[in-house]
Amino acid sequence: MTLSLLAYTVILDPMPLRGGTWWLTLLPLALGIAVVYKAIKLDDLRRYPKQVAMMTTQIVVVMIALAVGFQVVVGWITPLLGG
Amino acid sequence: MTPHTIHQSSDERFNPIAGILAYLLPGLGHWYLGEAKRGILIGVGVLWLFFGGVLIGGIDSVDRVEDKWWFVGQAGVGPIAFAVDLVHQTQFKVVDDEGRPHTPPPGPDARASKSIGHANEVGSLFGAIAGMLNIMCVIDAMWRPRTERRAVPRREASA
Repeated sequence: MTLSLLAYTVILDPMPLRGGTWWLTLLPLALGIAVVYKAIKLDDLRRYPKQVAMMTTQIVVVMIALAVGFQVVVGWITPLLGG
Repeated sequence: MTPHTIHQSSDERFNPIAGILAYLLPGLGHWYLGEAKRGILIGVGVLWLFFGGVLIGGIDSVDRVEDKWWFVGQAGVGPIAFAVDLVHQTQFKVVDDEGRPHTPPPGPDARASKSIGHANEVGSLFGAIAGMLNIMCVIDAMWRPRTERRAVPRREASA
């Protein structure tokens, strides 16, 4: 891990995402989508920060719920069916 | 119907200049329409996603030749995406024994290294989503009613 970080050059090299950390990139992705979508969706930008926070949270919660759902199907239900 | 409706007027017609400006630089179309704050928010959001993708996946996540279909999405960001790809193609690729240009694997001679695995997937995804969102913004800029006419109470609109 340390060696890969030493060799890492920002922009030129891919970020050394290790283990289970890559999914944390969902947070800036959800935030970016909400920032742009709400900028064109809302007529009144006074509600903008609250709406962006709400949409970011919704995306993250739904993605986590989908992950849990798929884990239940793939990890538990499918092995039972295979029997 | 919602309590507010969009008031139709001759100012709400097709505006290709706003669309072109929105494609040239994310947010510029809305700025041109007099909505500077909205334009800045769009620009920050789209460029945050695009350069976030380059940061995560490296410059190899923008590749018109080797990742053609990802680049179709990324191209929506506009000339910035083509410029990043041009720099990638001309400055960081090496030619293999068969004469094909490619980004080299990590090594002492590599100026940029090949993006693989989750970093490449996430980086490419960030860029493609940035491009598709910017296309939405281009369409919105081309057909957007002027700010002062967008949210008019229905009674006033019908008067």
